[in-house]
Amino acid sequence: MVVSKMNKDAQMRAAINQKLIETGERERLKELLRAKLIECGWKDQLKAHCKEVIKEKGLEHVTVDDLVAEITPKGRALVPDSVKKELLQRIRTFLAQHASL
Amino acid sequence: MKMEEMSLSGLDNSKLEAIAQEIYADLVEDSCLGFCFEVHRAVKCGYFFLDDTDPDSMKDFEIVDQPGLDIFGQVFNQWKSKECVCPNCNRSIAASRFAPHLEKCLGMGRNSSRIANRRIANSNNMNKSESDQEDNDDINDNDWSYGSEKKAKKRKSDKLWYLPFQNPNSPRRSKSLKHKNGELSNSDPFKYNNSTGISYETLGPEELRSLLTTQCGVISEHTKKMCTRSLRCPQHTDEQRRAVRIYFLGPSAALPEVESSLDNDSFDMTDSQALISRLQWDGSSDLSPSDSGSSKTSENQGWGLGTNSSESRKTKKKKSHLSLVGTASSLGSNKKKKPKPPAPPTPSIYDDIN
Repeated sequence: MVVSKMNKDAQMRAAINQKLIETGERERLKELLRAKLIECGWKDQLKAHCKEVIKEKGLEHVTVDDLVAEITPKGRALVPDSVKKELLQRIRTFLAQHASL
Repeated sequence: MKMEEMSLSGLDNSKLEAIAQEIYADLVEDSCLGFCFEVHRAVKCGYFFLDDTDPDSMKDFEIVDQPGLDIFGQVFNQWKSKECVCPNCNRSIAASRFAPHLEKCLGMGRNSSRIANRRIANSNNMNKSESDQEDNDDINDNDWSYGSEKKAKKRKSDKLWYLPFQNPNSPRRSKSLKHKNGELSNSDPFKYNNSTGISYETLGPEELRSLLTTQCGVISEHTKKMCTRSLRCPQHTDEQRRAVRIYFLGPSAALPEVESSLDNDSFDMTDSQALISRLQWDGSSDLSPSDSGSSKTSENQGWGLGTNSSESRKTKKKKSHLSLVGTASSLGSNKKKKPKPPAPPTPSIYDDIN
């Protein structure tokens, strides 16, 4: 019973993701997020942080994995609340539209 | 698929919220990843730190925000007092007036090129001795003078007349000419100041006459010098010019016509005769290159006297007095200058000369 529920859950998520991509909503949301993050200075803050990290490690020894490990938590934390709220709102309306089908 | 979507509607809000959060986290992660790729590429390509500047230089180039200063911290109207030194006449001119001055001084205009050329040619013919030949070459070349392009072309066609007879760059010729001109300048007390005008007290009657046929000549009230501009100089009126001429040359002297004194490139028989005679002279000196200087000069003078009348008639514009003082310079200048057509008007002046 539990396994089937888990399975159903995963299937549902896959279906929603599929829908997001098919309708192009995911692409739109990504673009919106990008624009908002640049607008609010998230990118500049992160870049400053990047510089510190890179100087610390040395220019030659920087790898993408290092950067991702260092940057992603920071990036997630630095997203302003307003941006987060707006994005979540749009995701919810999308879900509501497609859940009612 | 249909079944699952139907089941979506049955999900409670908390489940939907969880999914929404998940999607959001996914998107943020995507953005972060994209940013990381961007930075990594910038680092590996070496342009990541390009926009960095060290704080010292940042301090140096800080934008200044003070009254009376521009953003670089300079007094913004200091250029008003700037002066430039003209490379041609060595006078210092206010920067805002420099371009118009240079145009006049270098002779880049239509009219001013004539004036400037005449001025330089005059001063060279009368003042210089050794470098006479080279300078004349430069002046008459006119390659650099935009306004006189047409003139230069005409001159080229003139040169066709000369070329078979003589080589203007022949060292022997220039040598003998230099010699002659050196003698001439010693005997010529004429002083010509290019920049300020002419003090007429120092001029002899012949020089005065030739000056007045080529230049405005009106005497300034302030400097007591004669105006060295063209006959049409806008600063003085025809009345003033006439008055000066009457004062110097007597009541018979009228204002010479400007048109006739300008170049007009016609060629008459006396010119070609003069050329032929010069050719003969050239040939003779070719035959005896070891001639002493004195014999050459006598030869030259003899030739000059023989063609004196035609010379002075052709070049009376500015060299008639020279042909009277010393014949050699008229020879030299005539060689470089275009032959001037006989100027029929203003007979009173020219009758005096001839």
